[in-house]
Amino acid sequence: MVHITIDGKEIQVPEGTTVLRAAEQADIHIPTLCDHPALTPFGGCRLCLVDVKGARTLQTSCTLPATDNMVVTTDNERIREARKFVLTLLFSERNHFCPYCQVSGGDCELQNAAYEQDMTHWPLQPNWNKYDLDASHEYFILEQDRCILCRRCVRACGELIGNFTLGVEERGADSSIVADLGVPLGESTCISCGACVQVCPTGALIDKKSAYLGHEVQLDKTESICIGCSLGCGIDIYSRDNRLVRIEGNWDASVNHGVLCKVGRYLPHEAENWDRIYTPMVRKDGKLKAATWEDAINAVADQLKQSSRTAAMASTRLPAESLYLFKQLFGDKLQADTVTSIEEGANTKLAAQLAADLGSPFEGSLSELEKADCVLVLGADLVEDHEVASFFIKRNVPHGTRVISAGCAENAIADIADVVLKPSGDNYDNLIQALSAALADKPVTALAKAAGVDEAAVKEAARILAAANFPAIVYGEALLKNASLNTLKALVELGHLSGAIGEQRNALVSVKGKANSMAAAQYGLEQAMEISDEQAVFIALGDDCPSQKLIKRLENVPFIAVQASYSSQLTAHANVVLPVTDWTEQEGSYLNLDGRLQTAVQPIAAPEGVLTNAAVLEKLAAALGYHLDAAGWKDELLKRVPVAIITE
Amino acid sequence: MAKPKVATDWMAGCAGCHMSLLDMDERIIQVAELVDIRATPITDLKRADASGVDVGILEGAVNNTANEEQAHWMRDHCKILVAFGDCAVFGGVPAMRNFFTVDETLRRAYIEAPSNDASGMIPSDPELCVQTRVRAIHEVVPVDVFLPGCPPDADAIFYVLVELANGRMPQLKDNNLLHWH
Repeated sequence: MVHITIDGKEIQVPEGTTVLRAAEQADIHIPTLCDHPALTPFGGCRLCLVDVKGARTLQTSCTLPATDNMVVTTDNERIREARKFVLTLLFSERNHFCPYCQVSGGDCELQNAAYEQDMTHWPLQPNWNKYDLDASHEYFILEQDRCILCRRCVRACGELIGNFTLGVEERGADSSIVADLGVPLGESTCISCGACVQVCPTGALIDKKSAYLGHEVQLDKTESICIGCSLGCGIDIYSRDNRLVRIEGNWDASVNHGVLCKVGRYLPHEAENWDRIYTPMVRKDGKLKAATWEDAINAVADQLKQSSRTAAMASTRLPAESLYLFKQLFGDKLQADTVTSIEEGANTKLAAQLAADLGSPFEGSLSELEKADCVLVLGADLVEDHEVASFFIKRNVPHGTRVISAGCAENAIADIADVVLKPSGDNYDNLIQALSAALADKPVTALAKAAGVDEAAVKEAARILAAANFPAIVYGEALLKNASLNTLKALVELGHLSGAIGEQRNALVSVKGKANSMAAAQYGLEQAMEISDEQAVFIALGDDCPSQKLIKRLENVPFIAVQASYSSQLTAHANVVLPVTDWTEQEGSYLNLDGRLQTAVQPIAAPEGVLTNAAVLEKLAAALGYHLDAAGWKDELLKRVPVAIITE
Repeated sequence: MAKPKVATDWMAGCAGCHMSLLDMDERIIQVAELVDIRATPITDLKRADASGVDVGILEGAVNNTANEEQAHWMRDHCKILVAFGDCAVFGGVPAMRNFFTVDETLRRAYIEAPSNDASGMIPSDPELCVQTRVRAIHEVVPVDVFLPGCPPDADAIFYVLVELANGRMPQLKDNNLLHWH
C-alpha cells in the first residue's frame, strides 16, 4: 500500500494505482476525456492534469502511479487555466458544430467538460480544414470533425475485442482514426460489435439507429441480459415511449464486462422489419383468420384432447418460468408423446447424462476462459454463434495466449490459432484421444491417422497445452454432432491431463445452444422428436425464428398450433397461431452456459391483446382443465445434476 | 441613476436569438423597467443613438464588410459588448461556408443553384458590401460577454440582461444557463 494525499485527504491505495483512480476512491472528481475505466490509461487528452508537490510541471493523473507520501492538488488556478487551454485546443483542432451534433446537450463528454470549466466560448478559432465523414458502415457513422483523438475507440477495438480494426494514421493535427489500412469502415474487418461507439466521448462515432432519438436523460434505461445466445451478456436497454432505442453493454456485468457482439447490440433492431402477430388466428376453410383468444385456445385444447399422438416443442429462448409451465402442461399433465425443446437436446443431452453419471458438474466457468493462456476450441464456432466468447480469446492473443482450433476451421479463431486441426468425418473421438496420448507421452501415430490429422500438429498442440499454466477447453455443437458419452468422458480426461480441469480451477466449457439451452436441459426437455403419425404438434416458439429443417419436418402434421411473436413459414402453415410477447416485453429467468441464473428484465410494455408465453400456457392449461404450478420453477431447475455449478 | 441603455443588432444570423429574447414572455416587461431598450431590429427605433449605449448586443457572425462595420460601430458606441448566440460566439452555422472559398459560395448561390436560370450572375455593384470569411465577433472586435446557445435560452438572456442592468458582469456557469447548442 502507498500513502498519498489528494486535496488534503489522506488515502491508502495499492501500489500501482494511478492518482486518478486513487482520487476516485476518495470521491474526488478529476475531469477526464481519454480515460475509460475499462481501458488502459493513455494520457492523450491532458484534461486530468494535477499539481504534484515537488513536480515542475502539471502531471496527467490518469497515467501517474501514486507513490508514497505524494501530495496532489486537483484544483487550483494553474490547473483550471491549463484545463481551459487544453479544451480550447481540442475544440479548435477540428470543426465542432455543437448546435446540430447528436450528442450536444448532455451526452457529449467534451462539451460537458467545457461547461464544467465555465467556458462560454473558445478563444481560438479552427483552421477550417476539411475532415472526412465515413457513413459506409451499416450501423454507425465516423465523423472526423468531432474526433478528439482520445483513442478510446482504438483501445476498445484492440484491448476489449481483440479485433484491431481501428487505428490512427498520420501525425499531429493530421492524425485520423482509420479502419484497417485506411479503408471505409463498411468495407473493413470491423465485426460490428459497436464497442467503439459505446466508448466514444464525443459525437465522432454515432449509432445510425438511435441518433437523434433522445439524449440519455430522455431515455429509460433497463438493466437486463441479452438472450441472443447462451452467454447471457449484461446489457442496458435504452427505450423511449415504449420503443427500443439502443442497446449498450453493461460495464458491471459479470459475464461480458461491457462488451457486446453485433447480435446483442444491433440485431434486436431487425425485429422492426419482421411481421408482428397481434391477434390470435384460427385456420378456417384453409385460411388463417383472426379469432378471439377464447376461440383460439379452445381450438387448440379440443385438438389436444382428441389427438392420439401429440408432440410439443419449446424454444430455448423462452424464460425458464415458461419452459417449466410448458413441461408441466405437456409432460406431467397431458403426457404428450414428445415433450422437448427446439434444440432437442443436441447441445446438452450428452453432457447432462455425463453429469448425472458422475453425480456432479464437470464443466467450469467462463471467467476461466478470460484468464486462459491457452485455449483449445473443439467443434465450436465462437465467431458465428457465441462471439463475445471469442473476444475473450482474441484480446488475450497479443498477451501471449495460444490458440488451438479443432474443427470449424474457417473462422476468426482459426485465423489466429497456433495450430489448426481438422478431424475427418467431424468425429472428434480419435482427435481427443490423440491429444491425450501426446500429453501423456504415449504413441500418437495411429490415433492421429485415425482422426485424419497431422501427427506433428497434434504433438505441437499437446506441447502448447502442456506448456500453458491456465489452459481452457471450449467445445460445442460440431463436436457433439457425432459424439457419444465416451467422447465427453475422453474430453474430461483430456481436461485433467492438460490441466484445464484441476483442483483449483475448471476451464472446460461447452457453448450450448440458445439463451436457455441449459435451463431446458435441467427440465429434461431434450428428447429427439421423431415425427411419425403425430396428430397434433404444439410449438411454443416465442420470438424465436424457426429453422427450415423444423418447418420441413412438420409439413405433413395435420394439426399445428404455434405460439409466436412473429409471422414465419411455420405460423403460415399452422392451424392456430397465438400471439405472444417478444424478449423485451416479458420478464424471466435464464440459465447461461456456465450456470449463471440471471433475470431478463422487461423494458417494453406488450402490445394490446398479446400475452406472455407463460400466460398463454396457463390459459391453455385452464381450457384443458389443469392448474399449473408456476412457483416451482426454480426447485425443478436445481433438481437435476447440472453440467456446470448453478450460481445466482 | 438613469436606466442603462441597451441596443441590439443582427448580422449573419437567423434572427432566432432575437426570437429567443422575446421568448422570455412577460419578463420582457421587467427588463423594460430595468433598462432603456434603444435601437434593435425588434423595436420601432431603427437608428442607433449616436451618443452610444451602455450595452451593445450583437447576434450573428461577421461574414462581410457590412457586418464588420456594424461590429466596429457597436464596439465603438457601447461600453459592454455582448456576443449573442452561437454564430456571434463561435461563427455558428454560417461559418460552415469557411470550408469553401468565397468565390465558390457566391457561384453556388447565384449561378449553380437549381433555382437560377441561365441569366444568373454574381452581384458586383460597387455599392454592395464584399463577402469575407465568416468570423466570430471576437475575431473582429473585443467582446466582453459571451452568451452562447443556438439560440440561447430565454432564461440565460434574462439572466444576462438583469445582471448587466444591475451593474454586474454576468457569470454564465453550468447551472442550466450555460448551453452552446
